[in-house]
Amino acid sequence: MAHYMLLLRNEPNRWTGLSPEEMQKMTEKYFEWRTRPYVLDGAGLVDATGRLVGKGGSTVTEGPFSEAREVLAGYYTIEAADFDEAVKLALTNPHVSSGSIEIREVIHRAS
Amino acid sequence: MNQPDAMTENETRGEPAGPVLLEHLFRRQAGRLVSCLVRLVGSQHLQLAEDAVQEAMLRAAQRWPFEGVPEKPEGWLYRVAHNYAISALRWGARFESGPDELIEKLEAKRELAESAYLDGDVRDAELCMIFMCCHPELSREARLALSLKLVGGFGVGEIARIFLADESTIAQRLVRAKRMIRERRLPLALPTNGQLRERLDSVLEVIYLMFGSGYAAGSGEELIRQDVCLEALRLGRLVAASSLALPCVDALVALMALQAARLPARTDAAGDLVLLEEQDRLLWDGKLIGLGFAYFELSMRGDEVSAWHVQAAIAATYAAAGAPEAIDWPAILSHYDQLMRIQPSPVVALNRAVVVMRVHGARAGLDELRPLERHAAMRRYHLLPAVRGQMLAELGRMAEAEQSFRAALECDCSEPERRFLQRRLETARLQSV
Repeated sequence: MAHYMLLLRNEPNRWTGLSPEEMQKMTEKYFEWRTRPYVLDGAGLVDATGRLVGKGGSTVTEGPFSEAREVLAGYYTIEAADFDEAVKLALTNPHVSSGSIEIREVIHRAS
Repeated sequence: MNQPDAMTENETRGEPAGPVLLEHLFRRQAGRLVSCLVRLVGSQHLQLAEDAVQEAMLRAAQRWPFEGVPEKPEGWLYRVAHNYAISALRWGARFESGPDELIEKLEAKRELAESAYLDGDVRDAELCMIFMCCHPELSREARLALSLKLVGGFGVGEIARIFLADESTIAQRLVRAKRMIRERRLPLALPTNGQLRERLDSVLEVIYLMFGSGYAAGSGEELIRQDVCLEALRLGRLVAASSLALPCVDALVALMALQAARLPARTDAAGDLVLLEEQDRLLWDGKLIGLGFAYFELSMRGDEVSAWHVQAAIAATYAAAGAPEAIDWPAILSHYDQLMRIQPSPVVALNRAVVVMRVHGARAGLDELRPLERHAAMRRYHLLPAVRGQMLAELGRMAEAEQSFRAALECDCSEPERRFLQRRLETARLQSV
């Protein structure tokens, strides 16, 4: 089984139009997905805490990156037989209804 | 591949089967959080409190899927909202003077307020919020929209769907109402003795309007509508349990409980309307019927016979009948006579006409409708021609019945009602040729 990283991107403020009930329903969909057997790991990223650092480690840009079209909101690591399956599994994540998911295969360390 | 390994890894991770949130937790908490925060910051900072609550829900939605649900989700939400209010005020303090005192107060009360919130010390705040939202200085429409938003925790989009209105219309209505609260300095407080009756009447009226807006046959939004009904019932019980309660509050709760009990039977599997007399009584909610009768009993203390009492008596008479044939129509008619004396309105008169038909026949029913036909308020009301059509059909005057159902279909009505009227029209048409 190969491991894949799913990078979840949001448009900023995508939840703002939602009612409390709708937010809860959405949250519950993520809960359910998080507990599926192929999900190994995951974390959300705190909003408005972004810093971009570049050459020499100096701060290049200070977040939040509100001008960016989409911001990184969190990630999951999943396992799948191959890339096709990883794509198929990613498409079941509730995030696809409102944002985008970048799928990257994680390079296995030779053991 | 190494499927077994994956299984063991899975098990050792010890992931729970998926955190479960209480049903409607966010919506319920939204109302309570806003009420409690406004009690601390004052109604002039209503928007701040709303923003803080929105932010708390947002963070919960972003974090809980990854971190899991905190042990006390209500406390977590309260803490985040409270802290957001402080930082938003601090941010504001850079541009304007004044909020320092408020910031200090909020900082000092941080722990105390959270533990009070967790201990359930929210009823008073919620009660004050209902009274503020239903202040007679606000328009009736604004009172209802505000109550749904601030006490009920419904979103602008949901409120718009309940009223079949544009979101922007509802949003504007809310903005204007909140501006009025700020400008007129309507306080978050219970009314004093001199105003109690007037203020209580407004609250009861809004609660029943809320109930009615949920009870009206839905258009594919049954779930929200049912939530609205149950929220109205909850608010009624909240007021009934308070020190301000009068017997008429119990009567209103009885009325709503008895009507809400019929919700599951009101539409069939296809979403089509089922008339009260044709409903499957086994589908009625026994718990709500019991609750309704208990409150009806409570409402009997004292001498007052309010319109709520009479309406509850009507609902109780329907509920007491074990079968449709057993409905005591003469008793219901005498209740309607009484209601017409206490609170005459064309809609009450229309309902009474239906009962007159049951007791004295369709011809007598038609006579009752005649004065209503001239009523301006009834001109666009679909139920008047619908009832007329029903009476004419019973008299075998099918061509006229068909015409009436056609007229009813030209008025605004919900989708299930439209289908219902169409079926009636079709039956009348087939029998008239």
